[in-house]
Formats: sequence, C-alpha cells, structure tokens
Amino acid sequence: MNKLSARQVYFLLACILPVGKLILLPARLADVSKNDLLLPAALHLLLQAGAVFCALLLAKRNMSLFEMLEGTLGHVAACVLQTVFALFLLFAALLPVLEQKLLVQSVFYDTLPTIASFAPFFLFAAYACSKPLASFGRMWDMLAPFSLAGYFGILLLSVGSADLAALAPTGAAGASGFFGGTMSAFAWFYDAALLLPLLGKIDYTRGMAWKGMLFYLAGGAGVLIFLAVFYGIFQETSVNQLYAFTATSKYFSGIATLGRADYLFIIVLTLVMTFSCILPIQGAIECALQAYGRKRWLAIVLSVGASLVFLILVLVLDYRFGEILAALSGVLFWIFPLFCLALPPLLLLFGRNDRARA
Amino acid sequence: MRARKFWKTLPMKLYLLLAAAVCLYFFANDFSLVDIQKTAIILAVGIDKAEGGFSVTAQIAAPKGTERTTGGTSSVEVAAEGGTVSDCISAIFAKTGRVPKLVFCNLIVLGEEAAKEDVIAHLNYFLRNDYMPDSCFLAVCEGSAGELISSQSAIDDASSLAIEKLFSDAAVKAGNVVSNTLKDFAIGYYGVSGSSFLPYIRTEEQEGGGNDSEEGAAASGGGEEAQRVYTATQTALFSKGKMVGLLSAEETLAYSLLEGNVFTGTFSSTDGEKPVTLTVMKNEGGVSLDEKKGEVKLELSLTVRLCCRGVTATVEDIASDSVSPEILQNAEKLLKGYTERLWETCKACGCDLFFLKRTLYRSSKKKFEEEGEGLLAALTPKIEADVFSMK
Amino acid sequence: MKQISGALQRDVAALKKLLPAEDILTFPFAAEGGTAFTVVFSDAVTNKELLGEEVVRPLRLLSGKPSLRAVKERVNFSEVRSEKSLKKLAEEILAGNPVLLWEGAEEGVIVGTKLVFVRAVAEPPTDVTIKGPREGFIEDVKINTSLIRRRFKTGELLLEPVTVGRRSKTIVMVCYLAGTSVEETVKEVKGKLEKIDIDYIPDSSYLTHFLSSRPYSLVKQVGTTEKPDIFCAKLAEGRVGLLVDGSPIALTVPYLLVEDFQSSEDYFVPSYRASFTRLLRLFALLVAIYLPAFYVAAQLFKLQLFPVKLLLTIAGSIRDIPFSPSLEMLLVLLVLEILNEASIRMPKYVGMALSVVGALVLGETAVSAGFVSTPAIIIVAFSGIGLYAVPNLIEQTSILRLSMLLVAGSVGTYGIVLLTGFTLFYLVTAENFGAPLMAPFSPLVKRDLRDSLIKYNLGSLPLRPKTLKSPNKRRLK
Repeated sequence: MNKLSARQVYFLLACILPVGKLILLPARLADVSKNDLLLPAALHLLLQAGAVFCALLLAKRNMSLFEMLEGTLGHVAACVLQTVFALFLLFAALLPVLEQKLLVQSVFYDTLPTIASFAPFFLFAAYACSKPLASFGRMWDMLAPFSLAGYFGILLLSVGSADLAALAPTGAAGASGFFGGTMSAFAWFYDAALLLPLLGKIDYTRGMAWKGMLFYLAGGAGVLIFLAVFYGIFQETSVNQLYAFTATSKYFSGIATLGRADYLFIIVLTLVMTFSCILPIQGAIECALQAYGRKRWLAIVLSVGASLVFLILVLVLDYRFGEILAALSGVLFWIFPLFCLALPPLLLLFGRNDRARA
Repeated sequence: MRARKFWKTLPMKLYLLLAAAVCLYFFANDFSLVDIQKTAIILAVGIDKAEGGFSVTAQIAAPKGTERTTGGTSSVEVAAEGGTVSDCISAIFAKTGRVPKLVFCNLIVLGEEAAKEDVIAHLNYFLRNDYMPDSCFLAVCEGSAGELISSQSAIDDASSLAIEKLFSDAAVKAGNVVSNTLKDFAIGYYGVSGSSFLPYIRTEEQEGGGNDSEEGAAASGGGEEAQRVYTATQTALFSKGKMVGLLSAEETLAYSLLEGNVFTGTFSSTDGEKPVTLTVMKNEGGVSLDEKKGEVKLELSLTVRLCCRGVTATVEDIASDSVSPEILQNAEKLLKGYTERLWETCKACGCDLFFLKRTLYRSSKKKFEEEGEGLLAALTPKIEADVFSMK
Repeated sequence: MKQISGALQRDVAALKKLLPAEDILTFPFAAEGGTAFTVVFSDAVTNKELLGEEVVRPLRLLSGKPSLRAVKERVNFSEVRSEKSLKKLAEEILAGNPVLLWEGAEEGVIVGTKLVFVRAVAEPPTDVTIKGPREGFIEDVKINTSLIRRRFKTGELLLEPVTVGRRSKTIVMVCYLAGTSVEETVKEVKGKLEKIDIDYIPDSSYLTHFLSSRPYSLVKQVGTTEKPDIFCAKLAEGRVGLLVDGSPIALTVPYLLVEDFQSSEDYFVPSYRASFTRLLRLFALLVAIYLPAFYVAAQLFKLQLFPVKLLLTIAGSIRDIPFSPSLEMLLVLLVLEILNEASIRMPKYVGMALSVVGALVLGETAVSAGFVSTPAIIIVAFSGIGLYAVPNLIEQTSILRLSMLLVAGSVGTYGIVLLTGFTLFYLVTAENFGAPLMAPFSPLVKRDLRDSLIKYNLGSLPLRPKTLKSPNKRRLK
C-alpha cells in the first residue's frame, strides 16, 4: 500500500479531479464568458493537460518533490520552497472548502443551517489527511465508479432539457469574455500541482505520462460536456445557478412523480467531492512531511492543525465568499499558473533526476 | 509502557468521545433548523398588487393527522401584505408560526394587475431563492391571484392541485393550454428576445356545486363558498416582463400547433353549414427564420393529421374513418387564419413569442445587431397549414 | 520434569498429586503373572466400557514380567502411545485418555479411549441452503477434520494441530493446501496462535481477536463459516482455515469483505441468478443501513427528498407524534433490536408469543396510541429485513445503521455522506494477512471482479483469486 499504481493515478485524473469543477465554476464562467463558457474551460484543460504530462514525466524519476528540489537547490532552499509550495496548496484548498460548505448548506438543507452542520467536515479532513497519501489511491479506486455513476446519472437526467443551440454564436462574449473567463477560472485549475506531492510514490509504468494526460483530457471532456448541458438548460439565467451539478437534473420529467430521485446521484458526487476537496490539504501535509521528516505524530498534528485553520477561516469568511472569489480571480489569479503550470516544466528541465547525486 | 498503551488506545477513546458528542447533539434535538413539524409546506403562491406593495397569498398544506385513511390534501390559505414579496412571506411566517418552505411550491400565480408591471420584480425573490424550485409553474389569472388561490376547487382538494392539472402533459398535448415554468419565463425575460408567455387562468363557478365535504370546507376555512372550476385556454403575452397582450383560445391552439405539441386536441370546423369536431392525431410545426441574401425571412408552418368526429356518417365512412376534402380544406383555412391572427397579435404587442430575435442572434450576431430591434415589425411571415386525414 | 519411576505406588501417588480432583479415578488390577497394574483415568471423559473390554481384560491374561512392548501389543486398541513425563501423562488423563502403569514400568502407556459426547452432523441454522451440501461443522474437531478430509483426498491437505489455552489446552487445527496457500500466511497464523497466552478458549470467536490486525476494530477481519463445503472451497482458493475444538464455527484467513455477500448456493445455481442475488444482497444491506437515516434526515433537514404526496402523507401521520422524527426512529429501531435479541434467546414456544406481541405492540397498538407513526414502522421493518440479507455482517451493519441514524439526526444528509466517506476510507485501508479487506474493488483487481458482486460461470474462472496471491494460480485446466 506504499505506492500508487498507474491505474489509481488515472482514476484521480479522469474521475476525481474533474468533479470539483462542477459546483461554482459553471455559473462563474457563465457570468463572465456567457455562452462562450466552454472556451476558457477548454484552454485551461489543455494547459493543465500539458502540466499533468510534465508532472507524470517527473514521476519517472522515482524521486519525491523534496528530493528533486534538494538535489537541485540544496537542503535549506528545498525546505523553503517545499514550505512555500505547501502553503500554496493550502491557499488553493480554500476555494474548494468554501465551495463545499456553500454547496452543503444550500443543497442538503431546506433552510440555512448553522456552521455546526458543516463542522464535521473538518473532523473528517483531519482524519483523512493524517493517513498516508498512498492510502488515498485505494480510495480513488473506490470512488472512480461512484464518480462515473454520479456524473452520467446527472447527465442522463439533464441532457433532455438542454438547448445546446444556446451556446451559439461562438465568440459572442468577445475577447473580454474569453480572457475574463480564463482569469476567473484559474482558481479551479491547479490539478498538475496536486500531482507533485505524489511524486516518488507513483509506481511509474511505461507511457504513463501520455496515458495520464489522455485520462485527464477525458475527465476534462466530461467537464466541457457538463458545461454545455448546463448552459443549454439555464442559458441567460445560468449565472444564478450556483451549484450547477445539483440544478440541472431536476427538470427531468420523472422527478415530478418520484421526488428528487436525482439526489441519489448528487449525494454520490458530493461524496467524491468531499475527497476531492481535501486533496490540496493532504498534498500540503505530504509536502511538509517530505521536508521535515515523516513522523506519525507530525502527520496527525499537521492534519489537525490544518483542519482547525480551515475551520477558523470558514467561520471568519462565512459571508465573504464573493470577495474571496473576486480576489482569487482578480489580483491573486497569477499564483495558480505559477505553481501548477510553471513548476512542473521547470522541474522537468532543471530538477536533478539522479537520486544518488541528489 | 504506559505511554505506549495510551497512544494505542487513543483512537478508541477519541471515537468514544466523538460518539458521545454526536449522541449529545442528537438528543439535544435542537438543530437550529426547521423540521417537518415546524414547517408550513407551501403548495402555491398568488401575488397581487396592493396599496404600497404586494399582497401574497400562500396555500399551505394542512396534513390530516393520524387518520387511517390516507390521500387527499387539505389546505389553508394565508395572505399577507408588504412592500416586497419577501416582506409578505415573512408576514406569513409571523401569522402561522410555522416556517414557510417553498421547496414544494409548484405554482406561482400573478394577479392581472401585478402582471402589468415588470413581473421579474415580483419573481425576483423566488428566482434567487436557493430553496425554491424554479421548475414550478407560473401563470397569470383574471382578477386577483389571492382569490384564485383561496377559491374552492370543484374537482380537487386544493385549488393549486386543480390548476396544476391544467398544465399537465396531457393538457398541453391537447393544445388547449400552454404551460411555462419560472425558469423558462426567466430565460425568455433575460434573453435577447425579452419576451415570454404565461397561461391565463379564469375561474368559473360550478353550477350546483355545493359543499359536500365538511372537512374540506373546514380546512379551507370556507363554509358556504361556491366551488369553482378553472380554465387556461388563453395565453398572456409578455414583453420586457410586462403583460402586453392576450392570445385567444384559437390563437393559443395555433401556437401549440406551431410548436408541434398537439397530439390529442380538438377544434371545431364546418362541413358546409354543419359544425364538425376535428381531432388532431398528429401534429408537426415549424418556425423557421432564414437569412438569404441579406434578407430575413420567416416561415410559420404546421402540419396536422385529423380524424373527424361529431358528424352524421355512414357505416362505410366510419369504417374508412377518412375526412372529406371539404372538411380538410375548411380546417386548413381555419388554422391558417388562427395562425395569421396569432402573428398579428404578437406583432401588435411587440412580444417575440417565437424567440425570433434569439434565433437571429444565434445564427448571425451581426445581422441581429443590425436588425434585431425592429425585427418583428419588419417581418412578414409565410404561413402554411397542411391538413390531412389520418386515414 | 518428573518422570515415571517404575515403582507403581509412588507413580500413582505422584499422578494423584498432580490431579487431586475427585473425578480422577484409579483402577488397580493384577495380571495372571502377578504383576500389579493400575489404570488412572478421568471418570467423565473416558470410555470405561472400551477400557474394560479392550485394555484391562487382555492385560489380565498377561503372564510373566511384562515389557513395555508386550503391554502395547496386548492392548486391543489402535491408539496406544507411551510417555515418561508425569506431567504429560496427567494432561492425557485430563484429555480423556487413560494411563496404564504397572510395577517396573519405564513409561506409562496412554490408551486413546477418550469418551466424546458429540451431536450429529446437521445443517447449521445460520447457513441454510436449498441447493447444495447440508452438512455443518460440530463441536468436535476430529469429526470436523474428517468432514474436510472426505472432501480433499490429497496429501496436499495439511492439518496441523496447535494447542491454545493454558488451562483449556484447546486444539486448533490449522488447515491448508500445501502449494496452494501462501506459506507466509500459514506461518503468520501459526505464529499468532503460538503467541496467544490465555487460559481458556471457549470458541473460535476468541481467536479472531488475536488474528486481527486491528483487534479493536468494528470491522470483521476473519472469515467464518459453519459449513465444510464453504470451508473447503476457501482452502481451495488458497486461504488458511482454522478448526477449533469445541466450536462449530471454522475460521478462514485472509478475509475479504465480499465473501459475506457470497453464499455457497451461488456456486450451485446459474451465474446470472447468483449475480442477481448478490446484487440484491448489497442493495438490501444498503437499504437496511441508509433507509432510516435518510428518512430522518429528510424529515429534519431536507423535505425535498420526499415526493410531495408522500411528504403530505408522512406529515399527516406524524402530526400527533410526541417525539421528534429522529427520536421516534431511534425508539422504533431500539425496540426492533430488543425484540430481535429477545426472540433469539427466548425458548422457541415463548419466542413465538413474543413475536406476536412484538408485531401487535409495534404494528397496531403503538400507532393507535399515537406513540409512533406508521411510516417509521414501515421504514424500520424494511431495514430490519434488509439487514438479514447478509447475516454474517449483522453485528457490524446494525451498529453502522445506528451510527448513520445518529449522524442523520444530528447533521443531516451531509452527515451521512461524511460517515459513508469515513467508513469507506477506513475499509479501504484495512488489510489482514496481506489481503486488502475491500479487494477486489479497492485496490481494483479486475480478474477477481468475476467472482465478486457479479459472478461469472465456472468456465470463466480458471484462476484462483489474485488477491490471495496463491502460488498455484490455476484451478481449472
């Protein structure tokens, strides 16, 4: 159970990472890019696919991120960089955690609940993040069919209500819509960065980088199809549909008789999302453990600490989601490409690939 | 040794602590939330204009208690006034002591006066409410929506349930009524066409309809109130959120036929001097907007396959079940006339019922920018009606 | 260690000193040649008839000074051994094997005339099948081994006894197929058994604690069966089995969770039927665990989970109930658990009455009295039935159902999601004897999926489960 198999990494790329893009991102893109929402999403997916390819090529070296940094820059600099990267992952985790909170409060309750209803998430996060990263691999094995069932279930119930002609005319939002959408979506696309803490734990097989990229693109295609169906259903009112994947299936004709049977798929996808949104936190803890020594107590302290920090952040930022989103897609958007688009190729070009020399 | 044992048993202790916390929370039974026993389940909402704001009437389901017989829905109607719809809902909460929940609200009815203003202002509360299904039916009614909601239905336990049945798939397929939902109305409103439509509900007193259910009467708060039936054969047209016109029953039928929705509907025509009833067995409709050589052309076409009922017929006629050419010709003329009237009404009101602007925008943004604004006025549609016998 | 001295009186006294209990009897007699013999035996567990007929009678005819060999040859019984150590002789007496001593004997002779009261081999009540073998294990390890030996007529079947329990000296038979089971697993099992330092092992379930990698876990980590055909099938897959003297329940390791969704009958019916019933079992179990929780969560936090007409019916039926939906459900669930527990333990004739009382109390009186609502009873009844679709997991699933209810009543649907996530995470990280509990789903072992929740026909299962890492991979040639 110490290594992640290629299959588990593929499942992560194709089935686990894409689900996080089905909550607030569609409405956000529809707000900025209108009917052109597919274009910025496709651009991000292509960029990320390239970065994923680089990250998986790094896995071939069978060295952890820290070992690579240490071999290139020395111990102290590696520690500093590794810490900075861990902080980035924690920063990146803020959006999915807040998204998850808003989703839960809005979709699983009929009236706005207290924060206590979401607090158990942090307990769960503390438990899961204290486990070795490789143990997540087995969870991905388990969650992949759930993710597929949830996604296709929702898609099947939704696609009949969609008017895909609403996506026309292409380019209507203009350059500002495209670039605005691209900028505001950076906060959702940092998938390649999530692979970096896994380096050294991946059981690299031949052609994994290519296959991984293709799996990522397959997952991305799923996101694009969902975005198209989403916009086809809500069109000009898409911006109002904050929790996209929970909204599209309710117009299915059988729902009136059966009740919200689509909640079965929504619940299944939420389960997958719960694991997907703790990935950056887990990645940050793994980075810290690589730099400061792999000790059980340290893992527990870090996971409990990180969960507490996020709990406090959620309490403090309870009603400031709009401002956070504005900051993430405005002044702070550059942080994401720096770590997830630039870092993997840089490591590939300049990082030491010889463990002995490292 | 002792420390090792402590660490070994720590997870178990933590699990027990957690279980105790969950139990405490469970038995405290105070979740700061509203469970089913504290809830007012709103089935329908009626919105009217009132002095200084709105009057909202909510039909609230009143479960019948632990009787052995199940089924049937009794309801109570509570009305409140306020500056905004949100104020009114809060006032309803104050009056009932139960938290109004809209998750099961499947009908919003706008009073005629309210519909003459930009209705999105009234509907904003519902559109932006995460706990309100935007798949609910939306309609306009003659007179007051509150009175409509509070009226005693002759055919169902609650007026809202009877009205919802008007918008069932079967009713829509009959072509007598069109239905629209909150979501689709909003899409029409916010879209480039800026237009939409809503069914227009009228009530009729049911003659000889006494109150045979004491219980139902008590639940509805009425003693001797007359029972009513509802029709929605007319359609209200909206432009920029305001009700700008009304389609007659015939025009509504023509619209349904153009949409290709009708499979079981009937309409009356003539066979010479005699009236006949024709049943639509199959229907295809089409609204096509084409841009050719810089000119935008509109074609409204409908194809109908009919059976003829309600005429004196020989056994052979019944066996062949064919419709005579004269009847078909008359029907064709009739439907063409309905369609022409429909177009003229829409044009006169400025309501882009067929979302022509949207179609133009999607096919050619440039052309839309050039001609979009005056599109309706500029178009002269080619109207075609093809009527065939089913056999 | 004290040994036989050859002086009969002294040796008998020494044995009596080691075994002072009143039921340890001595039977002195003399042979024709004048040699004095004494049989020391345990009254209750020795077959005295056999002892008299096949041991004492022929020895009485012995003339001259008897040698150890002559005594052994004279005794008309196949199981005859000799032992010098007084302590070991005493242990044999306690096991029911009488010890024969005589004047001048250099070793005591042990005769295996143990008296064992056993019940007949019968169909186990916990695993009834319509098609397939009906034999079940009993409490005697020897008969149980005979049931296995009968099914494997091969020298590869090895049965290695290990004695566990300081006082009970319980025989645990480690069974495996040499060359098919993983050697490391056999060694690990034996190692764990040898490390057990407990005075008494009443049942095989005691051993599960010592064989589990997470002994405090709620999750089962050792497989159990009462049927020799299932036991043998598991051995044939490469597992190691344990038969415990005094217990009709055999243990098998490594254990995979999916085993409990499989029934022996699945292998005797067409594969499509087997797949259907396995999926049905999973569905029933999920319904059993989740239905009460979702019902409560929906009532408390998310009414939309109900269709509107069902909601109105529920709202009507709970209107006059004095409890909150969560407390009401907990109450009904607890009553069901109590009824269940009581009806299992009660004598049959009382149990019948109890079930009638239970049905009346729950079904009629409680509803009429406005104590609980009809939907709650229906939900719990569904859940109760569903739980028994996988009887081997009842202990775990009923706790899980209760936990789900508690979180659903406290946090709502999201609590159910989180607890499900936690349970899944816990399950996928659990492994015992090198096999992941959730295999073949996690880690995904494609080949083994053919006999998991879906069952392929026998021709499509030529290889043993990959998860078990058997060195002999092919079972069908």
